Amino acid sequence: MALTVRQTIIATVEDVVLQTSPGAKVKLEESTVLLESGLDSLAFAVLVARLEDDLGYDPFSLSDTPFYPVTFGEFVRFYEENQPK
Amino acid sequence: MKRISLSDRILHSGFHPRVLVTSSEAWTSADVSGARSIGPLRELLTCESVALFLSNPCKMALSLIALDGAVNRLLLLSPSMPREVLHSLLERCRPSAILSDSALSVQAESSHFLWPDKARKSESARYDDSCASKQDTTWILSTSGTTGAPKLVEHSLASLSRTVRDERGCRNRLVWGQMFELSRFAGVQVFLQGVLGGGGLILPDEQSRLAEQISVLAANGCGALSASPTMWRKILMLEESCALELQQVTLGGEIADAAVLEALSHRFPAARIVHVYASTETGVGFSVRDGLAGFPRDYLNTTHHGARLRIVDGRLFVHIQSEPSRFENGFRLNDEEGFVDTGDLVELVGDRYYFRGRANGAINVGGNKLYPEEVERILLSDERVSLARVFARASPITGQLVVAEIVSPSQKKRSDLAAELMSLCRDRLQRWQVPAVIRVVDEIQVNAGGKVQRAQS
Repeated sequence: MALTVRQTIIATVEDVVLQTSPGAKVKLEESTVLLESGLDSLAFAVLVARLEDDLGYDPFSLSDTPFYPVTFGEFVRFYEENQPK
Repeated sequence: MKRISLSDRILHSGFHPRVLVTSSEAWTSADVSGARSIGPLRELLTCESVALFLSNPCKMALSLIALDGAVNRLLLLSPSMPREVLHSLLERCRPSAILSDSALSVQAESSHFLWPDKARKSESARYDDSCASKQDTTWILSTSGTTGAPKLVEHSLASLSRTVRDERGCRNRLVWGQMFELSRFAGVQVFLQGVLGGGGLILPDEQSRLAEQISVLAANGCGALSASPTMWRKILMLEESCALELQQVTLGGEIADAAVLEALSHRFPAARIVHVYASTETGVGFSVRDGLAGFPRDYLNTTHHGARLRIVDGRLFVHIQSEPSRFENGFRLNDEEGFVDTGDLVELVGDRYYFRGRANGAINVGGNKLYPEEVERILLSDERVSLARVFARASPITGQLVVAEIVSPSQKKRSDLAAELMSLCRDRLQRWQVPAVIRVVDEIQVNAGGKVQRAQS
């Protein structure tokens, strides 16, 4: 069964943390503020690039209104809501 | 002083049964000296300037032989050049005639000559010396150029054949294989070595696959081959290369890393391995024959083949003392002392300088600069990686990110292989240099010069 957007994001985050910041304590819950999550800008950039490859779209370039998710929950919803039909 | 044309030099080299060899036939030195009698070429002998836009290597070779010494200027154009670029070059140069082997729409001032059929030996292979060596022909070559229009560089037969080794006195003359396009500097070097050096030149059909081309070379006793490091990596992946018995392996055009040099010395144990540093603008700079990557530090203190080297801010500058090449309007692009900035970055490690990449190819990840060639070198050091291409991908967060593609003969699951290579990169590279994504692909394309292209995706 195909993974949901949420599941893909979580799996990719784990992978990216391993790849860019092994040993970092990254905790991602609904209310975790991204800037305080343990992911730095490089890790975040890699995450967005990997998600674009895995999901096939980048909501940051698709959406018309500039929106910056603050929490992890908002980040996931941003991807879910901007999934192309 | 009487100029000696290419055609004369071949004729006076003594009889050779196989000066040019294609997949179907061999041309003797007498056949080749009769090039001026071949239909389309005979008509061009009285032109002031001729542009050559030919896909077929044998026709290109014959055209160069026929027209050097007869016309004032020869413009060598890559057959893979896009039409708009071709037309703008023709607009700039306004040659009196253009010779092509496919249809072209051409401006009125230039006469267009079409040579669609196979090159046929002239029945009257009598040497036509009516216009023997009347000109010191200027050969104009174009660079591939990474930005905008290609640059045009002027050479003469003398400047182009400066490093040709005359092997006519040797028992064991090497037969050269033509892998580079004949319109490019590297291709011209091989062509001249083949036809003037005494061993002859094999010209595989440009339309056949690499494996077939290698088979043609092996079947015809190719003993010397020159190609870019990326082309060599592709050749090493082919079983057909095991049939090649090479005594000379030349690399040029890209950085020759330790991995490819070692792999070549294993595949071709009898070969002398040479990497040549040259550019269309400066000609041949220097060569390295010790089997190691980079070049020795003391190259800075001596002259090699008439070239001097200097390093400024990590960039390599080259000065050619004899026959400096000129840009088309007659002005030189060099500093007050005549040194040309090659645009290549080098780094001293111990007693050796290593090439680190093209200065204008830097990738900037969140303010941290790196060169893709460095990452490729790390990937290529793993024996499971046959080819690697590292390039930039735009990122809204860091500006750019590094991504990599590799080709591997390994049967391992691609995602596992990619993960292992990612781990290798993490061990050997700085954090921002590690590719964000490593993709295992079936093939990596090369440009007309046999080089990997790294334009941002």
